[in-house]
Amino acid sequence: MIKLIYIPIILLLFSCTKEKLGPQCISCKVEETNTQQADIIIVNEGNFGWGNGSLTLYNPLDKTISQNIFSQANNNLPLGDVAQSITQLNNKAYIVVNNSNKVEVVDINSFNSLATITGFTSPRYFLPINNNKAYVTDLYSNSIQVVDLNSNTISGNIQLSGWSEELLIHNDSVYVCDMTNDNLLIIDPLNNTLVDSVKVGESPNSILIDQNNKIWIMCSGGINSNLPKLIKFNPQNRTIENTFTFSSISESPGSLKINALKNQLYFLNSSVYKMNINDLTLPISTFIMNNNNTFYGLDIDPINEEVYVSDAIDYVQNGIIFRYSSSGDLINQFNSGVIPGSFLFIE
Amino acid sequence: MKTILQIVILPFLLWQSAFSQNTEDTVKIKTVEVIETIIPEAYKTTKFDSTVKEESSNLAELINNNSGAFIKSYGAGSLASISFRGTGASHTQVLWNGVALNSPMNGQIDFSLYPTLFFDEAELHHGASGLINGSGALGGSVILNNTEEYKNQTKITFKQTAGSFNNYSSALKLKLGNKKWFYETQLFGKMDRNNFEYKNISSIETPTEKLDRAENKQFGLQQAVYYKLKNGSVGGRIWYFNSGRELPGTITQTNSNEESQKDESIRALIELKGLKNNFQYHISTALVSDQLIYKNKQANINSKSNSQLFDNNINTNIYLSKNWKINNNINFKYETAKADGYSEKNNRIRTSWLLGVNKDFKKLSLNAFNRIVVIESELKPFAPGFGAQYKIFNKEQLFIKANTGINYHYPTFNDLYWNPGGNKSLKPEYAKMVESGFSYSKSIKGIEINTAFTAFYSKVKDWIIWQPTEFGYWSPTNLKDVENKGIETNLSLSTNIKKIRIKGSGNYAYTKSTNLKAKNEFDNSLDKQLIYVPYHKLSSSILINFKSINLIYTYNYTGKRFMTTDNEWYLPANFISDISISNQFKITKTWDVSASFKMKNILDQDYQSIAWRPMPGRNYLISLTFRLK
Repeated sequence: MIKLIYIPIILLLFSCTKEKLGPQCISCKVEETNTQQADIIIVNEGNFGWGNGSLTLYNPLDKTISQNIFSQANNNLPLGDVAQSITQLNNKAYIVVNNSNKVEVVDINSFNSLATITGFTSPRYFLPINNNKAYVTDLYSNSIQVVDLNSNTISGNIQLSGWSEELLIHNDSVYVCDMTNDNLLIIDPLNNTLVDSVKVGESPNSILIDQNNKIWIMCSGGINSNLPKLIKFNPQNRTIENTFTFSSISESPGSLKINALKNQLYFLNSSVYKMNINDLTLPISTFIMNNNNTFYGLDIDPINEEVYVSDAIDYVQNGIIFRYSSSGDLINQFNSGVIPGSFLFIE
Repeated sequence: MKTILQIVILPFLLWQSAFSQNTEDTVKIKTVEVIETIIPEAYKTTKFDSTVKEESSNLAELINNNSGAFIKSYGAGSLASISFRGTGASHTQVLWNGVALNSPMNGQIDFSLYPTLFFDEAELHHGASGLINGSGALGGSVILNNTEEYKNQTKITFKQTAGSFNNYSSALKLKLGNKKWFYETQLFGKMDRNNFEYKNISSIETPTEKLDRAENKQFGLQQAVYYKLKNGSVGGRIWYFNSGRELPGTITQTNSNEESQKDESIRALIELKGLKNNFQYHISTALVSDQLIYKNKQANINSKSNSQLFDNNINTNIYLSKNWKINNNINFKYETAKADGYSEKNNRIRTSWLLGVNKDFKKLSLNAFNRIVVIESELKPFAPGFGAQYKIFNKEQLFIKANTGINYHYPTFNDLYWNPGGNKSLKPEYAKMVESGFSYSKSIKGIEINTAFTAFYSKVKDWIIWQPTEFGYWSPTNLKDVENKGIETNLSLSTNIKKIRIKGSGNYAYTKSTNLKAKNEFDNSLDKQLIYVPYHKLSSSILINFKSINLIYTYNYTGKRFMTTDNEWYLPANFISDISISNQFKITKTWDVSASFKMKNILDQDYQSIAWRPMPGRNYLISLTFRLK
């Protein structure tokens, strides 16, 4: 009976095995992650609060895939969550990680972390103004953060009232989607001051500029609250040139993208739609049917106008990327990480 | 050879929670006071021993360290929800003296808000046995009961604890009474800073950091007054509880959202119970009122939700003869809730009626139940359960058991009415459950052996899952079908060696919980383990008692949990050992004090129960308990 005494000793021995700490990935192989031109980075958002955002590297020529390359290049560091967007500036990529309140700066070739810019509240999109300065929009801080790209710190902010979303720079003016107040904000980047605002549709979520220097803004219309609108804006005289109104308040269009020639618009509205910048109405027929998949992210390869669409499946597993030719035919599909949301075509 | 055998079988031995050490708090209840619907022995139950209950600070710790059920904890003092037999957090019903406590809004219970002080007995009713307690238990039920004693008494117990990370708690229990009256006052207060150190593996230099914003304050009061009648008793209880806590972020966050949460609950119960001739009755009416305030400073959120639940029960047992019993339980519930996410105040009425029959033969006991539920105007007439137990040998305490049943879980108010996303066309989730096993107890050469083995299988249909929609918001649908199967075993061995009493006990559960439905051909969640359901869970303990000295060693193993439905990501297993030593001293003729020292996580293991939420490393707890007998 005295042998019962052994039990705690045995249990202690059991306990001594050194275990791994934190989330572990089963099929993320350690691979060479050096990128090259024309490679595609897929930003996988990860779940809110789960720390499982990640980057997938895809080579469209030989169709090779490397998962979780940020962690692999950086000693298993988590990217955080929710990885909202990615922007290339010269030989660096800036990854905005919303709920981790940070922007990761990585080398575009090795994906080694060069710096982590912290101090954000709920950062969304990153826009380089020049080689020294960038703007970061924010969901909750009621401001745009001004980032010093030399020191990788926040150097100031531009006060707003609400959620600032996608933004672009054109002719020394910055145009920002104001989700809260349904405005297009115009900012002077020299003085970091808000100079004008123009009412657009409800919840402007994406913005881009075409070959005629017209700015296009997609407004989702909120949640069952207003008809969604696609707005064509003339930055020269700051007027709305055309408003394309969707037919139902239950629609929620987003992910407005443009090809490299800047004459074909693409957007998601359950399925993928394509529209010429000179069209006078919204497209009636779909360009790529969703076939019961839930399309989540969209982007267009600037080289060959191939279309990349992501499906997050159940949002709690590695998502899937569909790659279509410029004419809308499926080329192939491949897995990425959890909730693939945005793409970077490396230049 | 014997030693080797011990080593080999060790991980498989599932050691029952119970230390059978008798403490003075173990209350022997007279038959007349047992009014709860007793679960027939054909069903698996886990009863927590009072020593184990006293050792645990709250219900989360009690269940996680002493049963096969898994508690998903967001960290010290943070939300703790349950996964029982592979089911979801809302699939386990918690009943306090027969009153259902689950929130009408999300169907869940935060197990960190239930200090063990506030109940005298706790029990798990596994699987189909939950049907006998009420509808909604697809995994099982957690039963919390209080007891009354009618005798001349003035008992005071005061316990003060001080632990690492500036964690303090005080508890006072006052029992007064005579042969007619019973009064009980319980007071609880707790203040935890939880500013423990952890290694931040989400930062490149893996610095050691202190957890920030994890402060947690709790205050609670329970008052009971009961009067003994000729063949029963009448009385009531009020339980007030208030908790305020900061919600720490994950360690991958570089900035705090400055989130906090306040919970406030009032539970009031009036009951009449008794036994006359062969007729046993329990009539109760209760009000459960919960308020939750969530604040997020960064997002400028200040949301408030309120819910009220009126729960009325008429439970009767009729003993037709020594071997025949009929249960007849009628339950009437009125639920109402208001939240920022609802466009209006919502309410609903749920009525249910359980009719059961138990028949004992010489070696065989049989039981059959059916629960009829009317929810609003919808009738669910058929939720049955059947069980059988058979004693194999006349002289051996060896029983084989089997049972089966169906239970429904109705959509919560959030599922139905949340704006946007709420889905009024949701069907109830339901589970078909079956289990079988054996139990055996024997005393061999002074060693008491108690063991049980249960294999279970259940199929949950129309499992409600919230998912993003193409319209830009989340919405619930009856998306998944889930199959849960596994085993639960326990073993306890106890013996006396001279004046030393040794007891070893353990619980082991293996749970395979798989998704049976794929969204489309690309969905890799088909036939995969559900997230945050560990395959393996072992909890075990060794108690050594010499005179008034108790030494307790506990060891808990939680196997890996998947984080993604395709099972590509997982959190590694953890095994946590705690040790405590206590001694009781006499201060005066009437006052005793017991002092205890506890070391938790003695191997200082770094682990996460939920991804990126650190758990405390090695820490200490001292407690002093004064008792007036």
